[in-house]
Amino acid sequence: MRFFMVLFSTALLSVVPALAQDAGATRADWPHYGGSPYSWRYSALDQINTSNVKSLTPACMFQTGDYAENLQATPIVVDGVMYLITAQAHVFALDAATGREIWNYRYPPVPRSIPGFIGNRGVAVGDGKVFFGTKDDYMVALDQKTGRLAWKVNIDDARQCGCNITAAPMVVKDKVIVGGTGGDGAHRGYITAFNTRTGRLAWRWYVVPAPGEKGNETWKGDSWRFGGGSPWLTGSYDPALNLLYWGTGNAAADFYDTERVVAGADKSKDVNLYTASVVALDPDTGKLRWHYQEVPDDIWDYDSSYEVVLLDRQMRGRMRQALLHMNKSGLTFVLDRATGEYLGSFSVPEVRNWMAGVTEDGKLVGRNEPAMGKTTSICPSAAGAKSWNSTAYSPRTGFLYVPVNEMCADITPNDHPADEGKNYMNGDFPFKLPPGRTTYSHVDAWDPVTGKRAWSMPYKYVLLASMLATAGDLVFTGNPEGDFFALDATSGNKLWSYQTGAGHRGSAVSYSVNGKQYIATPTGWHSSVVGALAQSLFPDQDWRLGSTLVVFALPEGSR
Amino acid sequence: MSNQPRWMAAAIALAVSCQAQNVANVVKQGEAVFSKTCATGYCHGVRGGPSGAPRLAARGFNQAYIDKVVRNGVPDTGMVSFTTRLSPPDLVAVIAYVTTLNGIANPDVSMEGRGDAVSNRPTLTGEAARGARLFSEAVRSFARCSTCHEVSGFGIPVAAPMAKVPKSAAELKALTTPDVKTGAIGGETMPVLVLSQGKQGAVFYDLTSAPPVQRNAEPGAVKFTDGSNWRHSSVIGAYNDSELAAILDYLRAVIKP
Repeated sequence: MRFFMVLFSTALLSVVPALAQDAGATRADWPHYGGSPYSWRYSALDQINTSNVKSLTPACMFQTGDYAENLQATPIVVDGVMYLITAQAHVFALDAATGREIWNYRYPPVPRSIPGFIGNRGVAVGDGKVFFGTKDDYMVALDQKTGRLAWKVNIDDARQCGCNITAAPMVVKDKVIVGGTGGDGAHRGYITAFNTRTGRLAWRWYVVPAPGEKGNETWKGDSWRFGGGSPWLTGSYDPALNLLYWGTGNAAADFYDTERVVAGADKSKDVNLYTASVVALDPDTGKLRWHYQEVPDDIWDYDSSYEVVLLDRQMRGRMRQALLHMNKSGLTFVLDRATGEYLGSFSVPEVRNWMAGVTEDGKLVGRNEPAMGKTTSICPSAAGAKSWNSTAYSPRTGFLYVPVNEMCADITPNDHPADEGKNYMNGDFPFKLPPGRTTYSHVDAWDPVTGKRAWSMPYKYVLLASMLATAGDLVFTGNPEGDFFALDATSGNKLWSYQTGAGHRGSAVSYSVNGKQYIATPTGWHSSVVGALAQSLFPDQDWRLGSTLVVFALPEGSR
Repeated sequence: MSNQPRWMAAAIALAVSCQAQNVANVVKQGEAVFSKTCATGYCHGVRGGPSGAPRLAARGFNQAYIDKVVRNGVPDTGMVSFTTRLSPPDLVAVIAYVTTLNGIANPDVSMEGRGDAVSNRPTLTGEAARGARLFSEAVRSFARCSTCHEVSGFGIPVAAPMAKVPKSAAELKALTTPDVKTGAIGGETMPVLVLSQGKQGAVFYDLTSAPPVQRNAEPGAVKFTDGSNWRHSSVIGAYNDSELAAILDYLRAVIKP
């Protein structure tokens, strides 16, 4: 028996850890939105580390000149070239070591009549092309070497659907895959895949199933037509399992469920599939392989569209191919990524009243639902215990690094009828700060296996930039005041900070050129939606806007 | 006057009645429009309070300024132009309401002189209204007319604007498409709609499958020949004859030769 066990674990070691533990980290390049397709936002580079980070200084800066809604993108770095996109889809290829522009492409200005928010969270690079989505719902492919337009294809009529593309697309094999916004309007969300070479449609997967499809029975009447669920961020991919993972958005209407939930529905089971879920799709066909709904009948606007972190860890007695997935509520699910089996969960906000807890098999208990005719104070707010900015995972510490905000909202539902493409939140939800606190956010380190918080570094205002973890045992992020800083990944102690001059709402990356490690961060805050909602809570603050990429490195001779 | 759209007559009639009515009614209507369209959580706050978009109450805005911003939007922000998003009466009402939030008790609620920027979607009834829905029905995904045709401000303008409307579903199915050519690129042939062709290269739509893909080819990389095996009838197959007839009714109502 013992012999068998040894054999068994050896076999596992030779297959499983070789996949995620190696493939989850980035090295010289930063090839994907989440770093690797496992979405760790972790660099295996350790030239910059806890002992020398105090010497980190700017190596170059790049000012994009596009100050509309600032800089939110994750830069992509391939072979020493950085690909950066601004909110209005000005795309730049830069020498990643010097910031010198190699080419630029300006997407034509989108007409003022197109509804939606300006913003772009990144490009994808693959098959010799640079891909991005636009406010008017085009998927665009540029030649990677020249920036010349290769193809573009429309995925929807933004004037009708009220939806846009703000997420970075993702390249998987010969396809480029993208999600869209619109789930706060009367819209039916989807993920669409195109052939990278030709731009031709490969498949589309609707979050909300049509009549005759499994899951449609979880919708009342015709409500599925405008059921929301828009998967408005970027997925992850496991090449060994050949599964694509994506988080889906809230059900619509957001705060009023009478029109969409079958009377007497059992909310300990799936309701309004496949909203507020993590789904595993076959990337070749777009067919659903499994799903896990995190918030059945989401009535708090708790999108689950956030990043899916793929990792292999010892859990419940054996090595698991797992995934971590946090939704807006801050409730973070640990699932078997081959099967969708529930392995555990933990909740990151300190102030929480939307539910009382989670059962051993992952069911929500003590739901505190907003109701018509009254105002209900709900924590965390619809801005999220975490916003769309990503977590990071370090295989060295085993911690998930999370920027957590402590905000609440007073939700007053209404019952406006659905009107295609128009706002369908059906509720007012002004934000407020929870009483009795002096700090309203924190960077946390969570152990996903034990579900325990290892450390927490509090911050006075809000944290809305992504985390970056490195093998130098550093965790980087920025705050709205403009400070970009490094924490000790083991203790959370602040080791270094640099005032970049404008607030942080983007995603920092690390890469190397000719053996030299760089840390690059977008700066410029973000003046609408959650950024502005949060800022309105701190009226004495005037967080500065901008649109500049700042690249840091160690000075020559200090390595 | 005879070529004025029907909404304008309606708008003028409504303007007259508005002037006769109590301003308060219009402001009340504006509050309802504001609550549904503007105070949407991530945008403006309830009663113009602070939220994702700037506070609007007690900012010292005058009506001319509010009117301009609502109609034109604010460049580089989420504040879009609402001229095609709201009906003319709703537009006037919401401007009046926001004006009252700025301490002006008697805003101008007349509709006169406001016909310059309104939706070009006429009021439709019966089969034409049904046809308008079918034309761009979201549940049909890419198998809908608006994947390739822009009409009344909706749809994607892949095809050139329609000059005349077929008389019947049968005529629509038999439609010939002389503009569609055959493109040869990299050893592959495909039905194409050419947008431009010159020293800079060629820009064309690949019509192999829906949605059409706009492709840019290097000079000399693509060869076009007249004729194609592509048929319009093959992309309208998701509609039945009754639906096609309704769509033609819609097109006749909005497309004037």
